[in-house]
Amino acid sequence: MDAVERANVERQKRWVKDQKVGEGTYAVVYRGREASTGRKVAIKKIKVGQFKDGLDMSAVREVKYLRELKHQNVIELLDVFSSKTNLNLVLEFLDSDLEMIIKDRSLVFLPADIKSWMAMTFRGLEFCHRNFVLHRDLKPNNLLIASDGQLKIADFGLARDFADPGYKMTCQVITRWYRPPELLFGCRYYGTAVDIWSVGCIFAELMLRTPYLAGESDMDQLKTIFRALGTPTEQDWPGHTKLPDYITVGQFPKTPLRDLFTAASPDALNLLSKCLIYEPRRRISAKDALHHQYFFAQPHPSYPSKLPKCATQLATAQPLEEVDANVDMESTVAGGKGGPIKARPKRKLNSPYDDSKSRSIARRLDFTQPIPGS
Amino acid sequence: MATDFWASSHYKRWITDRATLKQARAEDLQYVDDPEHLEFLDIYFANAIAKLGRKLQLRQRAIATATVFFRRFYLKNAYCETDPFLVIAACCYVAAKAEESPVHIKNVVTESRTLFSQHYNVKNFPSDNSKLGEMEFYLVDDLECDLTVFHPYRTLMALCKKESSTDEDDETEAGEVGVGISADEGQRYWGSSEDKLEMSEAALQMAWHIINDTYRGSLCLLYPPHLIAIAAIYLTQVFHRPSRDNLSTLLQPPSSTAPHPRRSSRNAAESKKHQDPVTFLAELNVSLPLIATISQEIIALYALWDRYKDDSLPDTSSSSRQSPLSATGGCASRSRSGGTPQSEAADDHRVTPAFLSNLLMKMRENRLTDLAHPPTGRPVAVNKMLERTQAAG
Ligand SMILES: Nc1ncnc2c1ncn2[C@@H]1O[C@H](COP(=O)(O)OP(=O)(O)OP(=O)(O)O)[C@@H](O)[C@H]1O
Repeated sequence: MDAVERANVERQKRWVKDQKVGEGTYAVVYRGREASTGRKVAIKKIKVGQFKDGLDMSAVREVKYLRELKHQNVIELLDVFSSKTNLNLVLEFLDSDLEMIIKDRSLVFLPADIKSWMAMTFRGLEFCHRNFVLHRDLKPNNLLIASDGQLKIADFGLARDFADPGYKMTCQVITRWYRPPELLFGCRYYGTAVDIWSVGCIFAELMLRTPYLAGESDMDQLKTIFRALGTPTEQDWPGHTKLPDYITVGQFPKTPLRDLFTAASPDALNLLSKCLIYEPRRRISAKDALHHQYFFAQPHPSYPSKLPKCATQLATAQPLEEVDANVDMESTVAGGKGGPIKARPKRKLNSPYDDSKSRSIARRLDFTQPIPGS
Repeated sequence: MATDFWASSHYKRWITDRATLKQARAEDLQYVDDPEHLEFLDIYFANAIAKLGRKLQLRQRAIATATVFFRRFYLKNAYCETDPFLVIAACCYVAAKAEESPVHIKNVVTESRTLFSQHYNVKNFPSDNSKLGEMEFYLVDDLECDLTVFHPYRTLMALCKKESSTDEDDETEAGEVGVGISADEGQRYWGSSEDKLEMSEAALQMAWHIINDTYRGSLCLLYPPHLIAIAAIYLTQVFHRPSRDNLSTLLQPPSSTAPHPRRSSRNAAESKKHQDPVTFLAELNVSLPLIATISQEIIALYALWDRYKDDSLPDTSSSSRQSPLSATGGCASRSRSGGTPQSEAADDHRVTPAFLSNLLMKMRENRLTDLAHPPTGRPVAVNKMLERTQAAG
């Protein structure tokens, strides 16, 4: 075993996988803990499968950004290690998310609670934007809540760098209800304002306790937005009729936000309206939002630990079916006495030629195969 | 991830020193006659990555990222124990994804097979996608999932502007040079365009190419990218300006130096319309002796590269092949030997890709022999060492 492998085994030993708690498109998530401290963690095992299609783009993005971003309001990637043919991301364990809290009818939100969640969201987002990262998938279900009440932005599978301006990007991002009008019109050059729109929608949802702009299709989404906020004029949003996928979906009058958000303070409505400005360049930035009067006026934001919490925890126990990761460790460690090049157990899975003596095919040369030209 | 280099994985985990580099090549060193051949391999592999990258239509930035991935991987692995060509393909494949211009895996396999068999005598590049997928996994694992790489290009665009250009012009410039940081974004972090150093278009291009060329060596593992950019700017000034005396005095040995080079936080206080290069460099808050060291290493790399003869020309764009030095250094074109594998590097002290392809093959063969415990009972590596010490003494 070389130094690299040894280091990996060390890292692998540091973490223990317990039961499965969930599954996403490219990963299975386990509850786990740090062996030495018992600290609870989530272990996200990226499915590599049979390597046919390579690593999922979302996995690449998530890993790329989480490795760099460290902030109280961004989910923390504690470690990465490999086991067999899987990459494992060790994340802080987060019990619930904002969607569960919004949906939990037994909970009552005070204005100070909403302010607290908004402040934490903007703080995390400002950090991302300061580091030139667009999240591109903000929604209540991606805002996770730690047991101490801290809100953490998670799921960077659609995130991207925007440091090279003038670079075309896809407009097929952000879950529909949280997607800003410029993306619905097919705009390919966009910036931080897209995330701000999403936060505006989340803000509204916290006040309404139901999704604010819930369109049934992309076309209907535009209609839903315009019905709520009025169809934009050329003056509201210069040039928007020239966007690639511009369509007219009908003329709707502007109605004051106050009509719908009857209980909201004027400051809250002012901030909300600035998040939902049609013209992306005029939409408020995360940094300015944090300096908005709303956050300084009474009531002060609730302490995170005092925020409403879900009774039902995310990690409901599931059958102990897939407890792996550590099963192979013995054989990995024991491999140390063989030939000069050790096969890592993880390589065996995918190398049909492998037997106990043979070498890995990919990372190390396969010496069982003819050498080119010889 | 463009702002905080000092908090990045790049700075915290992947800036290394010469001793570590040497250690990383220890195994390979046993299988070459001349340690210099390993440096030629650095050029050879960088060229191969650039060629594959161009075939896959990757941006310069993605090609640079692929090269950095490759160098980082070989901090932990030996050439003689791996298949560098499969690693190259995986580096390009992952870099394309990390830089948001993904390429289909099948495409990478096809282009790699063609390129490597035509130009590098690699006949056994796997045709099966899953082999590349598997290599990708080992690569990402050894990269410790650190996929954000900083490059000097952005610093160059942030510090310099084209002569008499307005900010708008910067964006309309041809080629990738124009796609740097926008005036607006630049302003947020580097001060207004008035602070920028004005350069002629040719000079700016040259600085850009010098940066490209630094990837042919190990500089990206040794120095923060913004210092490499500043060294490139410095070299450009030296090659381009009559007043080079001024600059060389500026960079003369240890004056009072900032012990720890920090990102240049330039005083926006005094913004002059025309920055002269001497003042410009002096005002950057970086260690000038360190810039001098980096510049010297770049020049040494060009000297080495001048002795490297790429005999597979078709797609090498002339601009990228032309080193600033070769213009002045007068390296006449030699007759192409066709690179018989057996020919020594020697003839005219030039090394060809064919020679290196052959060398790689031999390194592997010998490694294999060593592992198989040769009947002589004396591993090849030991023989080589003996030969060398005998020759030396
Ligand atoms: N840090 C965490 N702490 C606790 N549970 C988590 C954590 N991250 C994810 N989970 C659980 O694992 C499930 C799958 O998460 P994952 O991020 O892989 O997918 P997703 O975002 O829900 O879906 P998709 O991958 O399709 O976007 C989540 O629904 C959640 O229940």
